[in-house]
Amino acid sequence: MLRFLDSLRAAEAAGAAVVDAWVAVCPLPSLRGGLRTIAEREAGHAALLEERLRELGGTCDAVVPDAMRGAAVGRFGSPAVADEEKLALVLARYPEETTVRRPIVHVLDQLDPDLETRELLRLVAEGEGATVAWLRAYHASLGG
Amino acid sequence: MLRHEADDQAAEIIGLLDEFQAAERAGAEAVDHWVTVCRDARLRGGLKVIRTRDRGHACLAEERLRALGGTPSASVGRQLASLLAMLGSDDVSDRTKLVALLDRFPGELEDPLAEVVRRIDHDDETRSLLATIADDERAGVAWLRRMRETLEQERE
Repeated sequence: MLRFLDSLRAAEAAGAAVVDAWVAVCPLPSLRGGLRTIAEREAGHAALLEERLRELGGTCDAVVPDAMRGAAVGRFGSPAVADEEKLALVLARYPEETTVRRPIVHVLDQLDPDLETRELLRLVAEGEGATVAWLRAYHASLGG
Repeated sequence: MLRHEADDQAAEIIGLLDEFQAAERAGAEAVDHWVTVCRDARLRGGLKVIRTRDRGHACLAEERLRALGGTPSASVGRQLASLLAMLGSDDVSDRTKLVALLDRFPGELEDPLAEVVRRIDHDDETRSLLATIADDERAGVAWLRRMRETLEQERE
């Protein structure tokens, strides 16, 4: 479980960096506002997971490989890549809210003795679903 | 839209963001106190998420407020301050705190940001910022309701 929390923490921190890079070059105010919240949500999840991991005696060791993180920041932080293409990339990876929530929801049942982590992860999973739902609705509003 | 109408709305938005950032910051602090005295592990886990999100919302609202030329100066009203003080108290049960907090969100007031979001018609960035923050707020209220029901069922 500690390894799961650590991996998720690293992924959320990397996700926040990628969305921050997108915000910095996003020309659409209506998209930029939502992306700011999403970046903050991802960073918050990373902070929560780190806090819980340390309370449980774990350490933050997991890292998203530099090449992977750099490629994502480069692509989403590029003004040459259209926002519609960036949205399509995210939605291709997470076609439904359940796709992004599934890995977290899958471990909830294994957390019966640790109810604090279970409820924390339940709300983190809902936040991930809300992010994908908003991005999908925005993409649809562009005619995507 | 006439220029003066846009200016009027910008002033209104700055005021709303200021009130919102003050409420979220104070709320995050109160929930942080609640976490330290909370006796129920399930509740503690969700409260930590709500605290962290409220803190993030306060930062986002302040950042937007400053981008629009405002300066944060609002403080929370007496009624909210009283509720927040109660949330951090060690002498009040978790169930009582949940009931008092959820009394602020009866039925149609479940999404207090929705009306604000609807009224913003010339600032797309603030509107989408608040709309996505509202998603977090709704999720938090729904989770608190589920916890209240769970605690009430366990009490019976």
